[in-house]
Amino acid sequence: MNIIIPKTPAELNFGFSLPHRKMEDWRWTDLRQLIDKPYPPRQTVAAAPGDVERLLKSSPFAKIAGPRMVFVNGHYSAEHSQLQNDDVLSSLKSDEPVIHMNAAFATGGAALKISGNADAPLELVFIATDAIPRTIATRNVIEIMQGATATIIETHLGAGSYLANSVTEIVLGESARLDRIKVELEASEAIHLSHTHVRLAKNAVLNDFTLTSGAKLNRQNGTIEFQGQGVDGKISGAFMLGGQQHADTRLVIDHQVPHCTSRELFKCVMDDHARGIFQGKVMVRKDAQKTDGKQSSHALLLSETAEFDAKPELEIFADDVVCGHGATSGDLNPDHLFYLMSRGIPAAEAKSLLIAAFVGEAFDVIVHEGIKEALVKFSNKWLSQHRRAN
Amino acid sequence: MLEIKNLHVKLANEDRVIINGLNLSVKAGEVHAIMGPNGSGKSTLSYVLSGREGYEVTEGSVTYKGEDLLAMAPDQRAAKGVFLAFQYPIEIPGVATMQFLKVSLNSQRKSRGEKEMTTPDFMRYVKERAAKLNIGPDMLKRPVNVGFSGGEKKRAEILQMAVLEPSLCILDETDSGLDIDALRVVADGVNALRSPERAMIVITHYQRLLDYIVPDHVHVLSKGRIVKSGDKSLALELEANGYAEFTGEAA
Repeated sequence: MNIIIPKTPAELNFGFSLPHRKMEDWRWTDLRQLIDKPYPPRQTVAAAPGDVERLLKSSPFAKIAGPRMVFVNGHYSAEHSQLQNDDVLSSLKSDEPVIHMNAAFATGGAALKISGNADAPLELVFIATDAIPRTIATRNVIEIMQGATATIIETHLGAGSYLANSVTEIVLGESARLDRIKVELEASEAIHLSHTHVRLAKNAVLNDFTLTSGAKLNRQNGTIEFQGQGVDGKISGAFMLGGQQHADTRLVIDHQVPHCTSRELFKCVMDDHARGIFQGKVMVRKDAQKTDGKQSSHALLLSETAEFDAKPELEIFADDVVCGHGATSGDLNPDHLFYLMSRGIPAAEAKSLLIAAFVGEAFDVIVHEGIKEALVKFSNKWLSQHRRAN
Repeated sequence: MLEIKNLHVKLANEDRVIINGLNLSVKAGEVHAIMGPNGSGKSTLSYVLSGREGYEVTEGSVTYKGEDLLAMAPDQRAAKGVFLAFQYPIEIPGVATMQFLKVSLNSQRKSRGEKEMTTPDFMRYVKERAAKLNIGPDMLKRPVNVGFSGGEKKRAEILQMAVLEPSLCILDETDSGLDIDALRVVADGVNALRSPERAMIVITHYQRLLDYIVPDHVHVLSKGRIVKSGDKSLALELEANGYAEFTGEAA
């Protein structure tokens, strides 16, 4: 007997089914249940005067000079941007639910083709202004040409209740280098769904960092394809979550060729009732001999009601590789705390120092000092808001 | 400076008594050595004085500069001048040594109502002291004790002591894991801090350290109490005869 499951209001609006917990990749993040409103796509919404400026100012990178490209409610805003779209087309075909949704509803996004060395970081800012609950989808296509280097920041900010769907496709040419910093600081009532797909050619270097601290519901997928030999890929992330926040990151590292190195490091701090999930899969295909892949995820739970789930997966088909994974979850180390206090540092400050140090290790992948400093500042501010006296 | 009277300490989560009626009086300017076999309660004494969790004082008192030391949190004790050089210094990933020293000193100054030290002043202040202990700028940039060798860790402890300028220094097995050259550097660092205002309690298993840090008083700790006190010659006697006389066991 077939049971017909009634479609949710969002599914009726979207015209397709949402992933649910019976699908292995979505077991912790059932979008059928968690997307609680219809969130109609393709809504035309005008920003109230001052809204965009106010949100731009709230970015941790507001003071870092560099060309910006700003998208307001899914559309390019020439008024706030110093960069224009290049002629690059999407080549990503996928049935993955977030990409599928994006393909149906995207209204804009950055298309960048970078050659030479971009010295100053480029910032792509995605802003949702306060309006009716709706879906805002953007698609970015970035190509770093052979031998080129760039630092690209992706900042997600907003106000009110909305569903942001963001897909970013990145291609690195031979010996190209990308330092990418994504910061998810969506509004507290927002939902953020994203997919980042990176393809890396021979000798490319990727330093990727994601800060996850906004939105009530966050699901970020990443697929990193190591397609050329000699690639060095570092993928790090930090969760700083509180309240009822739910963040689920699923990352697939796909080693297709020999002699590549991948390093994943995720540092997750959860307070209150927050829940963090890290699903990391490292795939080493038959030809990918001499792969050196390491993955680790570490969680610090600041309250007894916070939760962290880790699902590391190694799928190795080559026989001459060095691969490993590790996951830990726990409280601050009492020996560390005593050591700091025995030198005169009060308990609350000692705790903040230790938490900042814990998260800070994930920032080490960031080469640009100004960006790193801005994130350290952000994390200290977050900690001061979540500091407990006990 | 320090009066320990009839101190009884047990582990918080079990009934085992570790300190069993200990008395000790330390005056400013004095160096006291506490020697004893493994398990005699030496490290427990250092932890109880510095305020580590996990121990319960069931009887007795510890008065420091006229105040009840046991009523203070570890950071308060530190701000009032109590310093423990750890037997096993703790590694703290992600916190640079320089930052750690600065936050420690300024926390203490703040707690005492003194002005915090500015970064340039502080850098000079630390570098001066670090140089004397063969600690270069590289080590100061590294995370606290992470990847330090045994000798580096002990030197880093003495640097902390030199920076924080405590009134009561407790050195817990500072000689353990040191070769003779490292021992000399550490001992010179400690001796440089000897002053009429400062007292030291040097806890050690072996007499060797006391060749370099010469104590005014030597105490033998056994089964949680001081069973014999004397001058520095007592340490030599112990070196020759062992602890058997005090533990009631054959050597």
